[in-house]
Amino acid sequence: MSLLPQLVHEFVTPLLAGSTVQVRRPYRVREFRAMIDELGQLHSGDYTDLLLLRLRRGQDVVANPALPEPDPDELALWIGLHNILALDHPDRSRVWTRAITWDRVTSVTRSLLTLSQASTFETALVRHVSLGPFLSIGRTDRVLATPDGEERFRGQEVPRRKLRRAQLLQLGGREERVDWMDVPHAPEVAELVHDVLWTSPLSCVLSPLRAPPGYNPLIAAPFLTQRAFVRRVCYGWARSPHWIEIGGVVMGQLLQALSTDGSQSPATDAIALPGAQVNRSPREVGAIVGALIHTHFLKVLELGARLGLSTNSRDTATQMFLALPRVLPQLSPVLGEPLLVGADLSKFDAQVARRWTEYTEHLGELIPRAVVENLVATLLPAIVKGPPA
Amino acid sequence: MVDVLLEPVAAGQTRFRMPGLAPDARGIAVGRETLIVLPSLDRLVGFLGAYSQECSLDELLPTMTLERGRRVDGGHALLVRCGGGDSYALDRLARLVLAVRGQLYTGSGSTFVRVRERAAPFGYDLVAAVQAGSDDVVAVEVDYAARYRSVERLDPVELIQRLSLRPIPLPLTGIAEDPELCGLAEIALVLVAPGISERVLSYLWNAQVNMAGVRVALEGERRASLLLRLRQAPGTILDVLHGIPGVELLAPVSERAAVELGYVHPIHLASASSCLPGDEMYLFRGRVGRVERLEGAPRFLDGRFLVKSEIAGRVTSPGDTRIGQMEPLKVNLRLRPSTALREPRGALVPWEQAEMLRRMIYTIPPTALSAARLVAMQTGLLVLTGSSLGGLGTGVGAGALIPLGSRLCEVAPGVLVPDGYELWPRVRPGLIRELLALDSSDHALFTGPDLPPIRLKPEHLIPLDTAMTGHLSLLEGGELIQDALPGLGSAQIDNTRLGRFALWGFGGTLEDGRG
Repeated sequence: MSLLPQLVHEFVTPLLAGSTVQVRRPYRVREFRAMIDELGQLHSGDYTDLLLLRLRRGQDVVANPALPEPDPDELALWIGLHNILALDHPDRSRVWTRAITWDRVTSVTRSLLTLSQASTFETALVRHVSLGPFLSIGRTDRVLATPDGEERFRGQEVPRRKLRRAQLLQLGGREERVDWMDVPHAPEVAELVHDVLWTSPLSCVLSPLRAPPGYNPLIAAPFLTQRAFVRRVCYGWARSPHWIEIGGVVMGQLLQALSTDGSQSPATDAIALPGAQVNRSPREVGAIVGALIHTHFLKVLELGARLGLSTNSRDTATQMFLALPRVLPQLSPVLGEPLLVGADLSKFDAQVARRWTEYTEHLGELIPRAVVENLVATLLPAIVKGPPA
Repeated sequence: MVDVLLEPVAAGQTRFRMPGLAPDARGIAVGRETLIVLPSLDRLVGFLGAYSQECSLDELLPTMTLERGRRVDGGHALLVRCGGGDSYALDRLARLVLAVRGQLYTGSGSTFVRVRERAAPFGYDLVAAVQAGSDDVVAVEVDYAARYRSVERLDPVELIQRLSLRPIPLPLTGIAEDPELCGLAEIALVLVAPGISERVLSYLWNAQVNMAGVRVALEGERRASLLLRLRQAPGTILDVLHGIPGVELLAPVSERAAVELGYVHPIHLASASSCLPGDEMYLFRGRVGRVERLEGAPRFLDGRFLVKSEIAGRVTSPGDTRIGQMEPLKVNLRLRPSTALREPRGALVPWEQAEMLRRMIYTIPPTALSAARLVAMQTGLLVLTGSSLGGLGTGVGAGALIPLGSRLCEVAPGVLVPDGYELWPRVRPGLIRELLALDSSDHALFTGPDLPPIRLKPEHLIPLDTAMTGHLSLLEGGELIQDALPGLGSAQIDNTRLGRFALWGFGGTLEDGRG
């Protein structure tokens, strides 16, 4: 079997389709080069399902995605994802090789994942199409009770002889479904996961809780000015039961990025973005803040805001996120209002406007005044008057 | 110059010249007793009637004395004395006494002064002491004093019992017209003369009136009369009873008093239980002008113990006779030729014409086709449309449109006979279904005069379009992608067993890797 069809049919297509992906030995650089030559085959009829699945994954973000053709960067991302899973393979110790070879595998994988910053939304979307399913990938572990204790088979069937022995001894077993991202990994795998997250700004902004350390939301800020995408982001945040935590994380990342000097990149130690120029214009900052405020508004619409606010967080970033609607009067000349309040409101709009007013007043009772003043001092100049000199 | 005998009491005044006068909580001068001077007996009755309507006479009677007095200067009056001491009660009495044109005084002993009025809101006090005789009653007005001497003492309870009833009009069209049945809607007491009691009892028993009765011996009568208590008696029954001489209807006005229908007692007896002492029951009869006192509360017996049953035979169920006597009348339900025209509701197509029926399907309109049902029988194919198909048989059915086989008509809902025949005798359509023991969704088919009917159950009826249309074979899409729109869920890792192999070939770099 040729390499590219094997990769596509055993790994990429199942990954996008949500079925079972086959993790084999890691791919080499030479094999990657060979697959680049075969990329043209992807337009043939054998790979229609792959292109359709890419489109459907893209439609999960925006309604009418314009995805570019699979290119070497996307292929490198696929192979990098596969190799990350291969490095986490439970049979890794059985492979006859030296430790330095595994270091080379790690190095090659990191090289494959060293992609340039996504310049266009379509490029960023293609990366999210592959990385989004990877972030939610799961694994079924079989745990077999043995006389010596429990033995866990990670994503593998129990060997027949062990199963027969357990049956003879009348020992039980069970299956556990785990989220691969949530289980602990080897250090090199964890670093590679951070690297792969740096390549997809859309994935980081859609799943801020999984964003790598030091991530700067301003990287994805230019894409947040697109109305279709920012709607997906806001609804994704608001749909999450941890929406306050998400808002706090995004707010913390934003404030961290704004507090650093403009000439320094916040991710100088990140290989994927060496010396990246991060946008800090009022438009980009305002896009993130507007999305956060709109998330508040969506929660008010679904009547879930006051319930979620019953727990008072002491985290500063979370408090600042909760305080955002309080500074909306100062931001509204630039960002606008979530609801145009006027005399000619319909019945529903008037009800929503009343709830929004009640919500902001409730936040006023919940959030200390110092937090609001701090927000006015730090965030407001970046949006209304531009970044500090 | 006129001598002024009374002076108004000042606000806050606590000392008075008249003995027995004292301020109450509002500062109004009130004596221990109250004196009501009424000019005649009818005014007294009017006062007592008005008082009993407004409040209970039981509060007034215990302290009440009634005297007939003669005025020293000439003239008579009725003097009513009762307990006082409350200006509120005095105000109420003053209002009622004024309505019957009497005078009201307050005081104690033998001297009474006028009660308060607009000119003296806190009452009056004597200007100078008034001398009264031992058996005199002095009623002091502002400018004169009337002296009364008691001539006769009356018993107010006896007076009330002796009062004659007042007639009141009844509805012209009868008691039944009144929604309340003139107060007899719940309970009516009927006093029946001894001579007609048995007949009245049998009448009420036949009319199934809920009744109970007791024999009571009235004063001056040799035979006991019958007192009946009717519960929720119909108005027509009461009208009949009311017109019978010797029968008196009485409406209960309290637990121990009843007043004859068409009369009313001047006193509201419900609020004057002390007027009716003891545990006797009083029947106020207006027509004869008597008050009957029954010893103790009457113990009523249920009506069935008062009547005599004269039924000697045994009750027979009509069902028993019907079974035994109807047998000679039975006839057979059979088909006979008829010239009556009926709309065809179905067609029995022989199997030889099945191919033609298949071709006729194309000519049947869609509504008729969807409404038609097909039954495969040994004699042929039955195409059925009928009113019993649950609203599907509206319009011209397929049975009328298909010019094949023999036509069938409907003689009863769901009962089909060949065209030109009818069921004889012509019994009701509903009865035909009952005789054939058809369920609500069953059909019956008579195929010929001497052939037994066939029962068609709902599972036998196949939609005609379904039965006659061949199967369409769909192309199992070779052009389609398998799982074209799979669920975009989470992927699962399958760590393929690697086995033992040598890992090599990772020495290269990626410098010239990407195009």
